[in-house]
Amino acid sequence: MAENAIVVCTWSAGREGLPEGAEEILHIGRGLAGALDKDLNWLVLGPLSPGASALAGQYGVAHLQQIQDPKLDPAGSDACVEAIAAYWAEHNPGTLIVHQTGEARVVAPRVAGRLGKAVVMNGISIEAVDSNYQITASAYGGDTRVIYEVGAGSVLSFIANAAVPEPGDGAPVTAESLAFDRVEERVQVVERATFDGPRLDDAEIIVSGGRGLGSADNYKLIEELAAALGGLPGASRPIVDDGWVDSSHQVGLTGRITRANLYIAVGISGASQHMAGCSAAGTIVAINRDADAAIFQYARYGIQGDALKILPELIRAAGAR
Amino acid sequence: MKIIVCVKEVMDPDAVNNYAVAGRLEIGADGKTLTQTAIPKLMNGYDEQAIEAALRLRDAGADFTLTVISAGPEPDKMLKHAAALGAQEIVSIPVDPAELDYHSVATLLAAQIKASGGADLILCGRQASDDDQGVVPALVAESLGMPVVTVARAVELVGEKLRVTRVTPEGDEVVEVACPAVVTISNEIGDPRYPTASAKVKARRVKPTVVTPGDLNLDEARLQPRVMLTKQFVPEVQGNCEFLQGEPAEVADLLIERLKADSVL
Ligand SMILES: Cc1cc2nc3c(=O)[nH]c(=O)nc-3n(C[C@H](O)[C@H](O)[C@H](O)COP(=O)(O)OP(=O)(O)OC[C@H]3O[C@@H](n4cnc5c(N)ncnc54)[C@H](O)[C@@H]3O)c2cc1C
Ligand SMILES: Nc1ncnc2c1ncn2[C@@H]1O[C@H](COP(=O)(O)O)[C@@H](O)[C@H]1O
Repeated sequence: MAENAIVVCTWSAGREGLPEGAEEILHIGRGLAGALDKDLNWLVLGPLSPGASALAGQYGVAHLQQIQDPKLDPAGSDACVEAIAAYWAEHNPGTLIVHQTGEARVVAPRVAGRLGKAVVMNGISIEAVDSNYQITASAYGGDTRVIYEVGAGSVLSFIANAAVPEPGDGAPVTAESLAFDRVEERVQVVERATFDGPRLDDAEIIVSGGRGLGSADNYKLIEELAAALGGLPGASRPIVDDGWVDSSHQVGLTGRITRANLYIAVGISGASQHMAGCSAAGTIVAINRDADAAIFQYARYGIQGDALKILPELIRAAGAR
Repeated sequence: MKIIVCVKEVMDPDAVNNYAVAGRLEIGADGKTLTQTAIPKLMNGYDEQAIEAALRLRDAGADFTLTVISAGPEPDKMLKHAAALGAQEIVSIPVDPAELDYHSVATLLAAQIKASGGADLILCGRQASDDDQGVVPALVAESLGMPVVTVARAVELVGEKLRVTRVTPEGDEVVEVACPAVVTISNEIGDPRYPTASAKVKARRVKPTVVTPGDLNLDEARLQPRVMLTKQFVPEVQGNCEFLQGEPAEVADLLIERLKADSVL
């Protein structure tokens, strides 16, 4: 097996059958492998999604490799780290890249720590320069970008909305099965998270409210507008912190990273940490009392005025459309 | 029992954001660091919440010594704040961040924790608000062979075990882990408390334990950065906002019309 391949690693099947962000991260991997004239491998920990072989073909994957073990279904982080470390010893990847899910935020730095490798999170894009990699990542909640340089054999994590995948038409790739020694998970889940309704991450239309709504009661206007448009309600962090809505609604750097087609921000100032979760939206609409609010710098359409006066009219107009 | 909280000093993220919005955020001649000297430095918000998590364990009756530790250029003021909040010991590792990366910071923290006899629980912030990396806690955990539980909104001691409520996109998840462990704290834990005036006065006299890489027998090779920051820049926001004018009912109709015309709706 070719060493120094670019290896995309995923685990846990996502909702649509394929691992979350698989296409985006394969897209990034394909670009890098192409630039370096290296193989692109896709390492799947745990069950293989039905669409994986076809997707691998579309992104020019040379080897689709699967580590199958009951301990990896669902995959705890100890099992993931062990599995990747075992893979690394055998296959010595040129670099290992992951899509930045919550689990990836644990597994990527742990793998790097275990193996003494470099790790970079929040990646947006990557370039190969001589024998090193330069990763552009976001910092200060999105107020700045940094370029980190690392050597070969690093663990790199990229943010979901960084890439626009473009599938090719390669033939499906047959999976190869790899062995793995089981480990005991040290962290035991005693109560699983159970929410399985529609998620902000997948929403086409999002209406988000912020502190400018004035009070928790007014959040129902956000829910009504979202419902009238067939979208989902989101929120900025302060109103989550204040208990107006629960944290599954939080959009931003430390909340959900969304990429709706339409994002309506109401009474939200447009702090970088909020924009980190919505700036990939196709069209942003901002409603804010303050004409100088940062949110207008990102918006396609702006309405300057009192959200509490405009929201009822928008609910009406959206309902009548 | 011994609890250690790792805290980092950062530039006030709200102030950084205000400069950015005003288009006045500047990168220095080195092309790497923010120059605004007017931006105040403070304890990373999540780290203050990590101290809060420890204090809540104490409120719930747990008996432990609390040590707060920081690696950075001048962490003393911030560490005195930690002492005022109830840390029995404050430890400063004075280093130049420009010469380190996340691995070397984690190596320093782990070496100090080991040298001081280990810990039953290490609390960190979920991420530092300057680099947003969120990797140091996992690197410390790996270096000490401990498990790590991230993004906690609540931490409880149940017998010999820790019960941690984690924030996930699918809602809260409750996990249990045996000590020693590393746990990272998220903002969902809620506002940290303020120190009392008398605690602040008393904390002024608390002297930090100062530890150097040499004290920890860490030579340059062990602290060699693997991740080099080569450049920092302020991204451009394009900005082509069209303001819709009129009475609320008019702008509402106009907006829906525009979105339909653009095929967004
Ligand atoms: C490390 C870190 C991580 C963070 N992560 C996130 C995150 O994931 N998500 C997030 O959202 N934030 C996050 N934040 C917080 C972020 O920096 C901002 O503080 C937050 O986004 C501000 O929320 P807001 O816009 O609702 O409130 P404010 O900044 O208070 O803005 C309220 C806005 O409402 C407007 N307004 C007031 N009244 C009205 C009215 N009647 N009608 C119309 N407009 C009105 C005001 O003009 C103002 O622009 C993070 C911060 C840090 C430091
Ligand atoms: N220099 C440091 N000194 C002490 N703790 C740190 C330092 N850097 C990071 N940490 C801890 O690790 C967490 C995550 O930091 P980071 O990985 O830099 O985003 C912080 O919230 C702190 O708890």
